[in-house]
Amino acid sequence: MSCQEFWKRLAKPPGAELDLDAEQRAHLAACPACPAHLARQRELAAGLRLVAEGFKSLKAPARVEEGLLRAFRAQNGLPVYTNRSRWTLAAGWAMAAALLLAAALFLTDLRQPAPPRSAPVLAELASDTELAAMEADGFIPLPNAERPGPNDELNMVRMEVPRSTIVELGFEVSADRDSDRVEADVLLGADGLARAVRFLE
Amino acid sequence: MMPGPPDSDEELLLRIRSGDEEAFLGLYRRRQGAIYRFILHMSGSAAVAEDITQEVFLALLRSECGYDPARGTLSGYLFGIARKLVLRQVERGRSDVTLDMDSEEAPLPELAVIQDPLGDMAHRERLEALRRAVTTLPRRYREVVVLCDLEEVDYAEAALALNCPIGTVRSRLHRARALLLEKLNRERPAHAVSALKPARILI
Repeated sequence: MSCQEFWKRLAKPPGAELDLDAEQRAHLAACPACPAHLARQRELAAGLRLVAEGFKSLKAPARVEEGLLRAFRAQNGLPVYTNRSRWTLAAGWAMAAALLLAAALFLTDLRQPAPPRSAPVLAELASDTELAAMEADGFIPLPNAERPGPNDELNMVRMEVPRSTIVELGFEVSADRDSDRVEADVLLGADGLARAVRFLE
Repeated sequence: MMPGPPDSDEELLLRIRSGDEEAFLGLYRRRQGAIYRFILHMSGSAAVAEDITQEVFLALLRSECGYDPARGTLSGYLFGIARKLVLRQVERGRSDVTLDMDSEEAPLPELAVIQDPLGDMAHRERLEALRRAVTTLPRRYREVVVLCDLEEVDYAEAALALNCPIGTVRSRLHRARALLLEKLNRERPAHAVSALKPARILI
Protein backbone atom coordinates (compact mmCIF):
# COMPACT_ATOMS: atom_id res chain seq x y z
CA MET A 1 0.00 0.00 0.00
CA SER A 2 1.31 3.44 -0.92
CA CYS A 3 1.16 6.48 1.35
CA GLN A 4 -1.46 8.04 -0.94
CA GLU A 5 -3.65 4.96 -0.69
CA PHE A 6 -3.23 4.91 3.07
CA TRP A 7 -4.50 8.47 3.45
CA LYS A 8 -7.22 8.08 0.87
CA ARG A 9 -8.63 5.09 2.72
CA LEU A 10 -8.63 7.01 5.98
CA ALA A 11 -12.17 8.17 5.40
CA LYS A 12 -12.61 10.39 8.43
CA PRO A 13 -10.11 12.82 9.86
CA PRO A 14 -7.81 11.01 12.28
CA GLY A 15 -9.28 11.71 15.69
CA ALA A 16 -9.06 9.91 19.00
CA GLU A 17 -10.34 6.68 17.54
CA LEU A 18 -8.68 5.07 14.58
CA ASP A 19 -10.26 2.30 12.62
CA LEU A 20 -7.44 0.89 10.53
CA ASP A 21 -7.56 -2.30 8.53
CA ALA A 22 -4.70 -4.79 8.36
CA GLU A 23 -3.19 -3.24 5.23
CA GLN A 24 -3.12 0.20 6.77
CA ARG A 25 -1.51 -1.15 9.92
CA ALA A 26 1.10 -2.88 7.86
CA HIS A 27 1.78 0.34 5.97
CA LEU A 28 2.20 2.28 9.19
CA ALA A 29 4.65 -0.26 10.52
CA ALA A 30 6.76 -0.05 7.39
CA CYS A 31 6.48 3.59 6.30
CA PRO A 32 9.07 6.04 7.67
CA ALA A 33 6.88 9.13 7.14
CA CYS A 34 3.21 8.27 7.70
CA PRO A 35 3.35 7.50 11.46
CA ALA A 36 4.70 10.96 12.22
CA HIS A 37 2.25 12.59 9.88
CA LEU A 38 -0.61 10.65 11.45
CA ALA A 39 0.53 11.67 14.94
CA ARG A 40 0.53 15.33 13.90
CA GLN A 41 -2.92 15.00 12.37
CA ARG A 42 -4.27 13.40 15.53
CA GLU A 43 -2.69 16.10 17.68
CA LEU A 44 -4.25 18.74 15.47
CA ALA A 45 -7.67 17.06 15.63
CA ALA A 46 -7.48 16.93 19.42
CA GLY A 47 -6.50 20.61 19.56
CA LEU A 48 -9.37 21.58 17.27
CA ARG A 49 -11.79 19.70 19.49
CA LEU A 50 -10.55 21.70 22.49
CA VAL A 51 -10.86 24.97 20.59
CA ALA A 52 -14.40 23.98 19.59
CA GLU A 53 -15.21 23.19 23.23
CA GLY A 54 -14.05 26.67 24.22
CA PHE A 55 -16.47 28.26 21.78
CA LYS A 56 -19.45 25.98 22.42
CA SER A 57 -21.01 28.31 24.97
CA LEU A 58 -21.09 31.25 22.55
CA LYS A 59 -24.61 32.00 21.42
CA ALA A 60 -26.44 34.91 19.85
CA PRO A 61 -27.59 37.51 22.42
CA ALA A 62 -31.18 37.28 23.66
CA ARG A 63 -32.14 40.44 21.77
CA VAL A 64 -31.77 38.54 18.49
CA GLU A 65 -34.47 36.11 19.59
CA GLU A 66 -36.67 38.98 20.73
CA GLY A 67 -36.29 40.73 17.38
CA LEU A 68 -37.11 37.56 15.48
CA LEU A 69 -40.11 36.88 17.67
CA ARG A 70 -41.44 40.36 16.96
CA ALA A 71 -40.97 39.80 13.23
CA PHE A 72 -42.67 36.41 13.41
CA ARG A 73 -45.64 37.77 15.32
CA ALA A 74 -46.01 40.77 13.06
CA GLN A 75 -45.98 38.47 10.02
CA ASN A 76 -48.60 36.17 11.51
CA GLY A 77 -50.89 38.88 12.84
CA LEU A 78 -50.15 38.11 16.50
CA PRO A 79 -49.75 40.74 19.23
CA VAL A 80 -46.19 41.97 19.07
CA TYR A 81 -45.28 41.71 22.72
CA THR A 82 -42.27 40.05 24.20
CA ASN A 83 -42.26 38.71 27.74
CA ARG A 84 -40.14 41.60 28.90
CA SER A 85 -42.27 44.28 27.27
CA ARG A 86 -45.57 42.91 28.58
CA TRP A 87 -44.87 44.11 32.12
CA THR A 88 -43.65 47.47 30.91
CA LEU A 89 -46.75 47.81 28.79
CA ALA A 90 -49.07 46.83 31.63
CA ALA A 91 -47.43 49.36 33.92
CA GLY A 92 -47.76 52.00 31.22
CA TRP A 93 -51.44 51.22 30.70
CA ALA A 94 -52.07 51.40 34.44
CA MET A 95 -50.43 54.81 34.72
CA ALA A 96 -52.25 56.12 31.67
CA ALA A 97 -55.54 54.80 33.01
CA ALA A 98 -54.99 56.51 36.35
CA LEU A 99 -54.28 59.82 34.67
CA LEU A 100 -57.24 59.54 32.32
CA LEU A 101 -59.61 58.58 35.07
CA ALA A 102 -58.47 61.49 37.18
CA ALA A 103 -58.84 63.85 34.19
CA ALA A 104 -62.31 62.56 33.37
CA LEU A 105 -63.50 63.01 36.91
CA PHE A 106 -61.96 66.48 37.11
CA LEU A 107 -63.73 67.62 33.91
CA THR A 108 -67.02 66.26 35.12
CA ASP A 109 -66.64 68.26 38.26
CA LEU A 110 -65.98 71.45 36.26
CA ARG A 111 -69.15 71.17 34.20
CA GLN A 112 -71.68 71.48 36.99
CA PRO A 113 -72.33 70.17 40.43
CA ALA A 114 -74.32 67.10 39.66
CA PRO A 115 -76.92 65.68 41.98
CA PRO A 116 -76.03 62.36 43.52
CA ARG A 117 -76.25 59.74 40.80
CA SER A 118 -76.84 56.18 41.70
CA ALA A 119 -76.92 55.11 38.06
CA PRO A 120 -75.44 57.95 36.02
CA VAL A 121 -75.91 58.09 32.28
CA LEU A 122 -76.96 54.47 32.07
CA ALA A 123 -80.62 55.25 31.76
CA GLU A 124 -80.15 57.09 28.48
CA LEU A 125 -78.04 54.30 27.12
CA ALA A 126 -80.16 51.41 28.20
CA SER A 127 -80.70 50.22 24.69
CA ASP A 128 -76.99 49.95 24.09
CA THR A 129 -76.13 46.29 24.55
CA GLU A 130 -72.44 46.88 25.18
CA LEU A 131 -73.19 49.28 27.96
CA ALA A 132 -75.78 46.95 29.36
CA ALA A 133 -73.20 44.19 29.39
CA MET A 134 -70.71 46.46 31.12
CA GLU A 135 -73.31 47.37 33.70
CA ALA A 136 -74.08 43.73 34.29
CA ASP A 137 -70.43 43.29 35.12
CA GLY A 138 -70.60 46.09 37.64
CA PHE A 139 -68.89 48.75 35.49
CA ILE A 140 -69.95 52.37 35.60
CA PRO A 141 -69.50 54.27 32.30
CA LEU A 142 -67.43 57.39 32.77
CA PRO A 143 -69.07 60.74 32.02
CA ASN A 144 -68.07 62.12 28.61
CA ALA A 145 -66.44 58.83 27.67
CA GLU A 146 -67.10 57.49 24.20
CA ARG A 147 -69.63 54.68 24.00
CA PRO A 148 -68.06 51.37 23.20
CA GLY A 149 -69.02 50.02 19.78
CA PRO A 150 -69.86 46.41 19.08
CA ASN A 151 -66.41 45.72 17.63
CA ASP A 152 -64.38 47.83 20.03
CA GLU A 153 -61.51 46.14 21.80
CA LEU A 154 -61.58 46.88 25.52
CA ASN A 155 -58.71 46.23 27.90
CA MET A 156 -59.16 46.04 31.63
CA VAL A 157 -56.53 47.46 33.99
CA ARG A 158 -56.66 47.07 37.76
CA MET A 159 -55.48 50.08 39.76
CA GLU A 160 -55.89 51.96 43.04
CA VAL A 161 -57.79 55.23 43.15
CA PRO A 162 -58.49 57.66 46.00
CA ARG A 163 -61.82 56.98 47.70
CA SER A 164 -62.78 60.60 46.93
CA THR A 165 -63.12 59.71 43.24
CA ILE A 166 -66.04 57.46 44.11
CA VAL A 167 -67.92 60.54 45.22
CA GLU A 168 -67.43 62.06 41.77
CA LEU A 169 -69.39 59.18 40.32
CA GLY A 170 -72.31 59.73 42.63
CA PHE A 171 -71.66 57.32 45.46
CA GLU A 172 -71.91 58.34 49.05
CA VAL A 173 -68.71 57.94 51.01
CA SER A 174 -67.93 59.15 54.49
CA ALA A 175 -65.76 62.25 54.32
CA ASP A 176 -63.29 61.13 56.94
CA ARG A 177 -62.00 58.34 54.69
CA ASP A 178 -61.47 60.48 51.59
CA SER A 179 -57.77 59.84 51.50
CA ASP A 180 -58.09 56.04 51.58
CA ARG A 181 -57.42 54.19 48.37
CA VAL A 182 -59.67 51.58 46.80
CA GLU A 183 -59.05 49.05 44.10
CA ALA A 184 -60.83 49.56 40.81
CA ASP A 185 -60.97 47.94 37.39
CA VAL A 186 -60.81 50.43 34.53
CA LEU A 187 -61.93 49.55 31.01
CA LEU A 188 -59.76 51.16 28.34
CA GLY A 189 -60.66 51.51 24.70
CA ALA A 190 -58.27 50.73 21.87
CA ASP A 191 -57.32 54.43 21.87
CA GLY A 192 -56.13 54.09 25.47
CA LEU A 193 -58.93 56.27 26.89
CA ALA A 194 -60.89 55.11 29.93
CA ARG A 195 -64.50 54.05 29.21
CA ALA A 196 -65.79 52.69 32.49
CA VAL A 197 -64.76 51.87 36.02
CA ARG A 198 -65.71 49.18 38.54
CA PHE A 199 -64.89 49.49 42.23
CA LEU A 200 -63.90 46.32 43.93
CA GLU A 201 -64.77 47.23 47.53
CA MET B 1 -45.94 8.78 29.14
CA MET B 2 -42.52 9.18 27.55
CA PRO B 3 -42.12 12.31 25.41
CA GLY B 4 -41.84 11.52 21.72
CA PRO B 5 -38.73 12.24 19.70
CA PRO B 6 -38.17 15.94 19.01
CA ASP B 7 -39.45 17.23 15.73
CA SER B 8 -36.93 17.33 12.91
CA ASP B 9 -35.91 20.70 11.50
CA GLU B 10 -38.01 20.03 8.44
CA GLU B 11 -41.10 19.26 10.52
CA LEU B 12 -40.57 22.43 12.50
CA LEU B 13 -40.31 24.39 9.27
CA LEU B 14 -43.70 23.06 8.15
CA ARG B 15 -45.22 24.16 11.43
CA ILE B 16 -43.55 27.56 11.10
CA ARG B 17 -45.20 27.97 7.70
CA SER B 18 -48.58 27.60 9.41
CA GLY B 19 -47.74 30.29 11.97
CA ASP B 20 -46.60 28.09 14.87
CA GLU B 21 -44.53 30.37 17.10
CA GLU B 22 -43.33 27.55 19.32
CA ALA B 23 -41.93 25.74 16.29
CA PHE B 24 -40.09 28.88 15.21
CA LEU B 25 -38.55 29.35 18.64
CA GLY B 26 -37.68 25.64 18.78
CA LEU B 27 -35.83 25.74 15.49
CA TYR B 28 -34.10 29.00 16.33
CA ARG B 29 -32.89 27.77 19.72
CA ARG B 30 -31.69 24.51 18.24
CA ARG B 31 -29.64 26.08 15.43
CA GLN B 32 -28.73 29.61 16.43
CA GLY B 33 -25.57 28.79 18.40
CA ALA B 34 -23.78 27.04 15.55
CA ILE B 35 -24.91 29.64 13.01
CA TYR B 36 -23.80 32.50 15.26
CA ARG B 37 -20.38 30.94 15.92
CA PHE B 38 -19.85 30.21 12.23
CA ILE B 39 -20.55 33.84 11.35
CA LEU B 40 -18.37 35.02 14.22
CA HIS B 41 -15.46 32.88 13.03
CA MET B 42 -15.90 34.05 9.47
CA SER B 43 -16.52 37.75 10.07
CA GLY B 44 -14.48 38.33 13.23
CA SER B 45 -17.17 40.64 14.56
CA ALA B 46 -19.78 39.92 17.21
CA ALA B 47 -21.96 42.74 15.89
CA VAL B 48 -21.90 41.30 12.38
CA ALA B 49 -22.56 37.82 13.79
CA GLU B 50 -25.61 39.15 15.62
CA ASP B 51 -27.01 40.97 12.59
CA ILE B 52 -26.47 38.11 10.19
CA THR B 53 -27.86 35.48 12.58
CA GLN B 54 -31.03 37.53 12.67
CA GLU B 55 -31.08 37.85 8.88
CA VAL B 56 -30.59 34.11 8.42
CA PHE B 57 -33.67 33.26 10.47
CA LEU B 58 -35.68 36.12 8.99
CA ALA B 59 -34.97 34.58 5.59
CA LEU B 60 -36.78 31.44 6.79
CA LEU B 61 -39.91 33.47 7.38
CA ARG B 62 -40.07 34.68 3.81
CA SER B 63 -42.36 32.65 1.60
CA GLU B 64 -39.73 32.61 -1.14
CA CYS B 65 -36.97 31.37 1.18
CA GLY B 66 -36.00 28.74 -1.38
CA TYR B 67 -35.20 25.80 0.88
CA ASP B 68 -35.45 22.51 -1.02
CA PRO B 69 -35.36 19.41 1.21
CA ALA B 70 -34.27 17.35 -1.80
CA ARG B 71 -30.98 19.24 -1.86
CA GLY B 72 -30.01 18.63 1.74
CA THR B 73 -30.69 19.46 5.36
CA LEU B 74 -32.20 22.66 6.65
CA SER B 75 -29.12 23.14 8.82
CA GLY B 76 -26.87 23.05 5.75
CA TYR B 77 -29.18 25.50 4.05
CA LEU B 78 -29.00 27.89 7.02
CA PHE B 79 -25.19 27.71 7.04
CA GLY B 80 -25.32 28.45 3.30
CA ILE B 81 -27.40 31.60 3.81
CA ALA B 82 -25.09 32.67 6.63
CA ARG B 83 -22.05 32.15 4.42
CA LYS B 84 -23.52 34.20 1.56
CA LEU B 85 -24.42 37.04 3.89
CA VAL B 86 -20.96 37.02 5.46
CA LEU B 87 -19.33 37.14 2.03
CA ARG B 88 -21.56 40.03 1.07
CA GLN B 89 -20.62 41.80 4.29
CA VAL B 90 -16.92 41.22 3.74
CA GLU B 91 -17.21 42.53 0.18
CA ARG B 92 -18.81 45.67 1.54
CA GLY B 93 -15.78 45.99 3.80
CA ARG B 94 -17.71 46.36 7.02
CA SER B 95 -15.78 43.68 8.80
CA ASP B 96 -12.29 42.34 8.66
CA VAL B 97 -11.76 38.96 7.07
CA THR B 98 -9.75 37.65 9.97
CA LEU B 99 -11.01 37.24 13.48
CA ASP B 100 -10.17 39.79 16.09
CA MET B 101 -11.28 37.88 19.13
CA ASP B 102 -9.25 40.08 21.42
CA SER B 103 -11.58 42.98 20.88
CA GLU B 104 -13.95 43.92 23.67
CA GLU B 105 -17.07 42.90 21.79
CA ALA B 106 -15.96 39.29 21.49
CA PRO B 107 -14.37 38.10 24.69
CA LEU B 108 -12.29 34.97 24.35
CA PRO B 109 -13.98 32.08 26.09
CA GLU B 110 -12.13 29.97 28.59
CA LEU B 111 -10.56 27.15 26.66
CA ALA B 112 -9.64 24.60 29.30
CA VAL B 113 -8.79 24.20 32.96
CA ILE B 114 -5.68 22.28 33.91
CA GLN B 115 -4.19 21.96 37.38
CA ASP B 116 -0.49 22.27 36.49
CA PRO B 117 0.17 26.03 36.03
CA LEU B 118 3.21 25.65 33.76
CA GLY B 119 1.59 22.90 31.79
CA ASP B 120 -1.57 24.96 31.76
CA MET B 121 0.31 27.92 30.31
CA ALA B 122 1.90 25.83 27.61
CA HIS B 123 -1.41 24.18 26.90
CA ARG B 124 -3.19 27.50 26.67
CA GLU B 125 -0.45 28.88 24.45
CA ARG B 126 -0.79 25.95 22.11
CA LEU B 127 -4.56 26.30 21.97
CA GLU B 128 -4.22 30.04 21.47
CA ALA B 129 -1.75 29.42 18.66
CA LEU B 130 -4.17 26.96 17.07
CA ARG B 131 -7.06 29.37 17.39
CA ARG B 132 -4.93 32.09 15.79
CA ALA B 133 -3.92 29.72 13.03
CA VAL B 134 -7.57 28.98 12.26
CA THR B 135 -8.47 32.66 12.12
CA THR B 136 -5.67 33.45 9.72
CA LEU B 137 -6.47 30.68 7.25
CA PRO B 138 -7.61 31.87 3.85
CA ARG B 139 -11.39 32.15 3.79
CA ARG B 140 -12.09 29.00 1.72
CA TYR B 141 -10.08 26.87 4.12
CA ARG B 142 -11.26 28.56 7.26
CA GLU B 143 -14.93 28.01 6.46
CA VAL B 144 -14.43 24.30 5.96
CA VAL B 145 -12.42 23.94 9.18
CA VAL B 146 -15.02 25.91 11.14
CA LEU B 147 -17.87 23.84 9.73
CA CYS B 148 -16.34 20.36 9.82
CA ASP B 149 -13.86 20.55 12.69
CA LEU B 150 -15.28 23.14 15.05
CA GLU B 151 -19.02 22.70 14.47
CA GLU B 152 -18.77 19.01 13.50
CA VAL B 153 -21.01 19.43 10.48
CA ASP B 154 -20.85 16.38 8.20
CA TYR B 155 -19.32 16.63 4.76
CA ALA B 156 -22.65 16.49 2.90
CA GLU B 157 -24.07 19.35 4.95
CA ALA B 158 -20.85 21.33 4.53
CA ALA B 159 -21.01 20.74 0.77
CA LEU B 160 -24.52 22.20 0.70
CA ALA B 161 -23.46 25.18 2.79
CA LEU B 162 -20.38 25.84 0.68
CA ASN B 163 -22.17 25.09 -2.58
CA CYS B 164 -19.52 22.64 -3.76
CA PRO B 165 -19.15 18.86 -4.19
CA ILE B 166 -18.29 16.68 -1.21
CA GLY B 167 -14.94 15.87 -2.80
CA THR B 168 -14.07 19.55 -2.72
CA VAL B 169 -14.94 19.69 0.97
CA ARG B 170 -12.58 16.77 1.61
CA SER B 171 -9.72 18.22 -0.39
CA ARG B 172 -10.09 21.68 1.13
CA LEU B 173 -10.19 20.20 4.60
CA HIS B 174 -7.05 18.20 3.86
CA ARG B 175 -5.28 21.30 2.60
CA ALA B 176 -6.59 23.38 5.51
CA ARG B 177 -5.18 20.96 8.05
CA ALA B 178 -1.82 20.95 6.30
CA LEU B 179 -1.81 24.74 6.44
CA LEU B 180 -2.70 24.70 10.12
CA LEU B 181 0.18 22.34 10.88
CA GLU B 182 2.56 24.56 8.93
CA LYS B 183 1.43 27.60 10.88
CA LEU B 184 1.72 25.79 14.19
CA ASN B 185 5.20 24.53 13.37
CA ARG B 186 6.30 28.05 12.58
CA GLU B 187 4.97 29.33 15.91
CA ARG B 188 6.02 26.39 18.06
CA PRO B 189 9.07 26.98 20.27
CA ALA B 190 12.13 24.85 19.60
CA HIS B 191 11.64 22.57 22.61
CA ALA B 192 8.15 21.71 21.51
CA VAL B 193 9.10 20.74 18.00
CA SER B 194 10.46 17.48 19.32
CA ALA B 195 6.90 16.53 20.06
CA LEU B 196 6.30 16.40 16.35
CA LYS B 197 9.10 13.94 15.64
CA PRO B 198 8.05 10.43 14.63
CA ALA B 199 6.55 8.66 17.59
CA ARG B 200 5.19 5.26 18.26
CA ILE B 201 1.49 5.26 17.63
CA LEU B 202 -0.90 3.29 19.77
CA ILE B 203 -3.63 2.02 17.56
